Amino acid sequence: MTAPARLIAVESVSKRYVTSSGPVEALHDVSLTVSEGEFCTLIGPSGCGKSTLLGMLGGLVYPESGRILVDARPVTGPDPGRAATVFQDPGLFPWRTVLENVEFGLELAGSAAARRRSIATALLGPLGLKGFAEKYPRELSGGMKQRVAIGRALAIDAKILLMDEPFGALDEQTRVLMGEWLLDIWRRTRKTVIFVTHSLHEALFLSTRIAVMTARPGRIKSVLELPMDYPRSMESPELVALRAKLWGEIREESLRAMQ
Amino acid sequence: MTVLAVRAGLLLVVLGLWETVGRASNPLLAVPPSAVLPALRDLLLLRSYPDLPANVLLTLREIAAAYALAVVAGLACGFALGFHWLIGRAWGPMLAALYAVPAVVWYPSLMLFFGLDAASKIAFGFLLGFFPVTLAVLAGIRQVNPHLVTVARAYGAGSLTVFVRVMVPAMLFTLVGGLRTALALAVVGVIVGEVLGSKRGMGALINHAYGLLRTADYVALVLVTLALVVGSDVVASLVERRARRWNE
Ligand SMILES: Nc1ncnc2c1ncn2[C@@H]1O[C@H](COP(=O)(O)OP(=O)(O)O)[C@@H](O)[C@H]1O
Ligand SMILES: [Mg+2]
Repeated sequence: MTAPARLIAVESVSKRYVTSSGPVEALHDVSLTVSEGEFCTLIGPSGCGKSTLLGMLGGLVYPESGRILVDARPVTGPDPGRAATVFQDPGLFPWRTVLENVEFGLELAGSAAARRRSIATALLGPLGLKGFAEKYPRELSGGMKQRVAIGRALAIDAKILLMDEPFGALDEQTRVLMGEWLLDIWRRTRKTVIFVTHSLHEALFLSTRIAVMTARPGRIKSVLELPMDYPRSMESPELVALRAKLWGEIREESLRAMQ
Repeated sequence: MTVLAVRAGLLLVVLGLWETVGRASNPLLAVPPSAVLPALRDLLLLRSYPDLPANVLLTLREIAAAYALAVVAGLACGFALGFHWLIGRAWGPMLAALYAVPAVVWYPSLMLFFGLDAASKIAFGFLLGFFPVTLAVLAGIRQVNPHLVTVARAYGAGSLTVFVRVMVPAMLFTLVGGLRTALALAVVGVIVGEVLGSKRGMGALINHAYGLLRTADYVALVLVTLALVVGSDVVASLVERRARRWNE
């Protein structure tokens, strides 16, 4: 068996934002590589630059120094052919129906109407949105909205899925169910996922690898490998031990972030 | 259903009151509905004013011209003010101040400038219609959720695509509301312009009937004008509802 190909390489990336109250160093010398098919989770205190890093991978934010390679090519701007982004705020277009929202990326890519429609319609089943094709976003629950946003990202069939706290605004129960649903989708589509979360449970339940970030300026503090099979039992001794280790690392950084 | 019944009831009450008061007052100044009906019939059969169609047509043409100009200039001005930071800062407050001036004070100078014919009416209709369009564009731009712009950019949208796929649909309802108000005001502008000084058009006929104390004809003409205005607004409201299908 050959090692899976390196799909993403973040090479000593730093980023400073200039604000009215002076410069803010969001990321400092961050390096990370992700292989094809991985589910890599970024976790760390608020404001440590997770969204900034994800924004760079998606081409929406430019690194100040260092560089980012996706599929062996530097990222110079948004490229839906390589990566699709899901944000914490689903950002559905309220004037578009569920189906039209799912079709959005395909429409921009210039795919024919009939083809768009059939791709989007085929996704409604796995999204759990059968029968909602003609509904408008305001008629949907929070979890459904986020599934539509994920469907919009899946529709363009990019290799990489960038997810920035996609379930952060949902209640705990919905969140757990959405995690199980996403796991199923990921195992079926074999996308490479970069996932930002605050939830230890989510991170442990889903990831093949967890990168813990330090308080601002964000750096990669440590990377945990999770070779366990899916679906995982959170009560298994391995996961309980990992959870304690992960919490130790995050706690330290969160305390620093609070000071 | 009940709304229609209540509305019909109100109409009957108003007509009843009008009839009673009309019969009791000086017939030169007040006409009851029973006297308006024959006048309206004569008007519509082109007996009292044979040149009614030509005048209606002229007024409609003036309205169309005024409205088209107001929409084009209003959109251009609104987008320039909304998208260009410096232009917006420099001219936005001036525009708001101008809007606060009762527009009718400009009319005499418009007549001096554009003469007594159609041009001054078009200019006045334009002046009234222009502001609501501009202001609706500005309000609409402020309404666009920036996150949706980010989402569109993440999916590869450039500025033009963002404008067409995100800005315009997000603004549409506000914009159409402004366009509707502008239409109503352009109609008012043209007709008021005609009433204040013109030889032709609906406003001129109204002025003529009123000046000769042909009160029944006057009321009949006003009713025809009213039908024009209400008709145009009904069309506009249908368009407006369509623009908001997704938020019924
Ligand atoms: N557009 C921006 N302008 C100025 N500062 C920003 C901007 N985006 C993020 N920041 C700052 O950079 C830091 C990292 O932000 P972010 O990447 O959103 O962190 P996280 O997603 O981990 O909470 C924060 O201190 C935030 O205030
Ligand atoms: Mg964030």
